[in-house]
Amino acid sequence: MTDNSDSIPDTRDLFREALVPLLAFGSTILGIVLWNAGILAEIQYAAVGGFLASCLLAYLAWLRPRKDIVSLTTPIYGFLFMVNQIDYTGGVVLQLLYACGLTALVVRLHKRFGTRNSDSFSGTDLAAGPLKTYVGSTSDAFTAADPLTGHSAAAAFIRFSEGDYQKAADLSHAAVCHDGTPEPIVRAFGILRQHAELLDENLPRPVAYLRFLPEDASLMAKPLPDADDPDREFETLMDNALLLLYSAAWHASEADRALLLASQEFAKKLLES
Amino acid sequence: MKIGTIDVKISNISIGVFVFFTLLLIVASIIAPEIRRNLIWMIPTLFLLLVIPVALNYMSRSQYKDLEPEYERRAKTVRVRLINENMIGKIVRIEGVVERVYFQFLNRPQYSVADRSGAISVKMFTSPDKDVKVNDIVEVYGQVIRRYMVTGEPVINCVIIRKFDRQPQE
Repeated sequence: MTDNSDSIPDTRDLFREALVPLLAFGSTILGIVLWNAGILAEIQYAAVGGFLASCLLAYLAWLRPRKDIVSLTTPIYGFLFMVNQIDYTGGVVLQLLYACGLTALVVRLHKRFGTRNSDSFSGTDLAAGPLKTYVGSTSDAFTAADPLTGHSAAAAFIRFSEGDYQKAADLSHAAVCHDGTPEPIVRAFGILRQHAELLDENLPRPVAYLRFLPEDASLMAKPLPDADDPDREFETLMDNALLLLYSAAWHASEADRALLLASQEFAKKLLES
Repeated sequence: MKIGTIDVKISNISIGVFVFFTLLLIVASIIAPEIRRNLIWMIPTLFLLLVIPVALNYMSRSQYKDLEPEYERRAKTVRVRLINENMIGKIVRIEGVVERVYFQFLNRPQYSVADRSGAISVKMFTSPDKDVKVNDIVEVYGQVIRRYMVTGEPVINCVIIRKFDRQPQE
């Protein structure tokens, strides 16, 4: 569910990334021209573009979900190159090498450190991506669920994400007893309870375990793996139960959305693993 | 080297620094005899390059030793894949295989420990009781923290890392 507004920041990011080598190299080249024309007294000041480029690189690195400590610290060197006096040849070589380094770092940032954070989190809505798509696709099934069921689903999900498995199992058990809970949600609570109890005791997968019904297939976030891998199937059932409860909580209990937003990284991890 | 009940280890870096400055001092005192009168304070200073890391390692090891029973009592066994931001500050125990070891030479080892569900970074701010190598099956007790304290993905700040003689349960 990627709309146009999602693609605009991507283009902007590409421009910003392209600006890093442009600033770094451009400033040095301009500095050479100005120095030869007798306008620039010291070549060190041509490093101002490198410094700005390194600040931009650090800003782009800061926005990424995974922080690149090397990119984040580049302004320190940029600043030192700018304030320290240096002879013409040494200064030009140093600035060009630094510009090459910044270019390599921005390419590395683009390829290895993923997309920026602010794209994915608006503060009031889910991040654009598979989780939002899944939650959106299940809205018809869960919008009619009552807020109490939604709240129970949110509480069970959050307790589970915090590693409080016994509490998650207790909440799931209590929620199942509540009248009027839609059947797929009841099954999700049952599966979550079973998994939470096993995790709490650090027990392995039982031979027989709870499953969703075939008619719940449209509500599953992840397809079940082959039947010859029961461990993987068992894990996927737990992921599906948690994600189903997350979606149910999102649609049925608006009061819990702030907590659900804070836990969306865990839901994304479940969905994408 | 054992001090009391604590097994103190000195890092290769500290030994390297000590050897480097010892050689530098020897060469300098051969080339420039006038510095020999300063040897009276230079030699003790040289030994401080060994004594200070040993003292620091002893202090951190003994602190960790005191924490061990508390961590063993409070830790909850979790699967690696289920560790997330909501567990920051929780004391956990994981079981898994060591896939990578970094910075062991600094006495600040970092491990990548994986179980069937995933892998996680395990940071230790002192040397472990016994050297842990790649492919060792271990149990780890520690606290979930962010990689850079205030930001970054969850990692484990390890207090105990122990080799298993048996396969873990999973």
